[in-house]
Amino acid sequence: MNQEPIIEVKGLQKNFGAFTAVKDVSFTVNKGDVFGFLGPNGAGKSTTMRCMLSLIKPNAGQINIFGKNLFEARNEILANVGSIVEKPDFYKYLSALKNLEIFARISGADVNQKTIYETLDFVGLAGREKDKVGGFSHGMRQRLGIAQTLLHQPELIILDEPTTGLDPQGIIEVRDLILRLKNEQNKTVILSSHQLAEIEHVANRMVIINKGQTIIEGSVSELMNAQETLLSIELLERSNEALELLKQQFPSLKAEVISPKTLELNVERQFIPAINSALVNGGFAVVALEPKRTLEDFFIQMTQN
Amino acid sequence: MLWKNTYNEFIKILAKPRSYIGLAALTLLILIILFAMKADGRMYISFVTASFEQTLSFNGNILNGNLIAFIVLQMLIVHIPLLVALVTGDLLSGEAAMGTLRMLLTKPISRSQVVYSKLIAAAAYTFILVVWMGFLALVVGRWMFGTGDLIVLNSDGLVILNYADILWRYGLAFAVAYLALMTIATLSIAFSAFADNSIGPIVSTMAVIILFTIIGSLDVSVFDHVKPWLFTTHMASWRSFFSDPVPWAAIKESVWILLGHNILFVAIAIFKFKRKDITS
Repeated sequence: MNQEPIIEVKGLQKNFGAFTAVKDVSFTVNKGDVFGFLGPNGAGKSTTMRCMLSLIKPNAGQINIFGKNLFEARNEILANVGSIVEKPDFYKYLSALKNLEIFARISGADVNQKTIYETLDFVGLAGREKDKVGGFSHGMRQRLGIAQTLLHQPELIILDEPTTGLDPQGIIEVRDLILRLKNEQNKTVILSSHQLAEIEHVANRMVIINKGQTIIEGSVSELMNAQETLLSIELLERSNEALELLKQQFPSLKAEVISPKTLELNVERQFIPAINSALVNGGFAVVALEPKRTLEDFFIQMTQN
Repeated sequence: MLWKNTYNEFIKILAKPRSYIGLAALTLLILIILFAMKADGRMYISFVTASFEQTLSFNGNILNGNLIAFIVLQMLIVHIPLLVALVTGDLLSGEAAMGTLRMLLTKPISRSQVVYSKLIAAAAYTFILVVWMGFLALVVGRWMFGTGDLIVLNSDGLVILNYADILWRYGLAFAVAYLALMTIATLSIAFSAFADNSIGPIVSTMAVIILFTIIGSLDVSVFDHVKPWLFTTHMASWRSFFSDPVPWAAIKESVWILLGHNILFVAIAIFKFKRKDITS
């Protein structure tokens, strides 16, 4: 992975009157990252994203994008950024095509009709370009929002909660779109979401913020592997004997028998293959190994701590 | 970027149904006035001229298109501010209410340019309203009632203007009326920069007009120093073009005060909008 930083946020702070929405947020996004931006409601995610797009002026801190200070080179930076903040809102009385033409005209790039039609096709809205946005479903507006972010071929895409309110099919479609942006167009994407599993599926790096402060930042796989996972093991039989075998081979293992066929263990993810091998070599028929601790648990653990 | 966004603003105004409310209302009001004058205009005129009939004799077509245009202007200049504010008060705050302001301001266009482009669109819309009013009042009025000398009842008495000496007066009167309406447009844009909903700036604009008009009409000495500086005091200065001789000095003063208000309101709008946190 290229380590060229695209975004550097340092010591960001934003107050609304006496209320501090963002106290001290810092993180770095590298070129080519799909970067997960996590935090519970009210953590300061949207405020941070709005600061990154110059919608809100921070009280303190620094935001550098493409190596330049956001508030000194705003227009130059935003010409290379596509974004959706919270939800994409359009002029409902205009067609999808007219809406995209309006945003393309002020995107800082020469966007022709062909590009607009191709972008609509990319997000699965081909054939609906003449329809008024007022008649679009939430999912269609979301896809139109993503089309709007791509029109001027930006290097960086910022998506704030892009799957909010979508049905499972819509969530899968947006997730696939994000992966296509990374894989086919080599975009850098920042993604905040309450669908924490979504971050796990698409992001390679992430930051968790809570109460306006950065809690942890790093690679998703490293952060996940460093944490203990609750592993459920389903066997054909003899779970008591399997537990004894595992305790012999892994003395520090925390495990318990749930039923004659089920064990539960607290283990770091990197040891799961070794545990599986030990059971199979010990003659136990392993039906399933299911890691129960997900990013969601990790997220809750981090934010509660 | 300014002109590109101005073009966008024209597209939005043209596509918005509320933009046509003003034109439709104006058309309806003027047609009602024309119809009423056609039906009962002679009685209306004789009521006005009755007090002069002992000393003056009126001959010819008194109820002509020129007089109708004057009556229309006088009646509607009070109501048109609402029609202007209905569109211009929504220009910034309507985008905030719709959520499109977020999208707009994440593009490489400065906030001042956003305000300027909306101001240009508002100026064009107000211009169209004034031109349409002029067309209906003067052109349709002359077509329906013919032409003739214009008799105007001023505070100094009766002024009779020769029909050949009228068109330039209307031209300049509409220009000053346009400047007065632009003051309303810029005031509502300034309110719009503070608000995140459409209704607030429209109501606030009308509230200011009503308040200033009341202060201007109160015969109380405590307001004597304030009245000359209220823009509402100068909104009817278009009428001065129908005096003889034309009080150019007073008109110039009114134009400067209206221009000053325009500049002040635009400056307030830009000052506020540039510093506004977009949380909508």
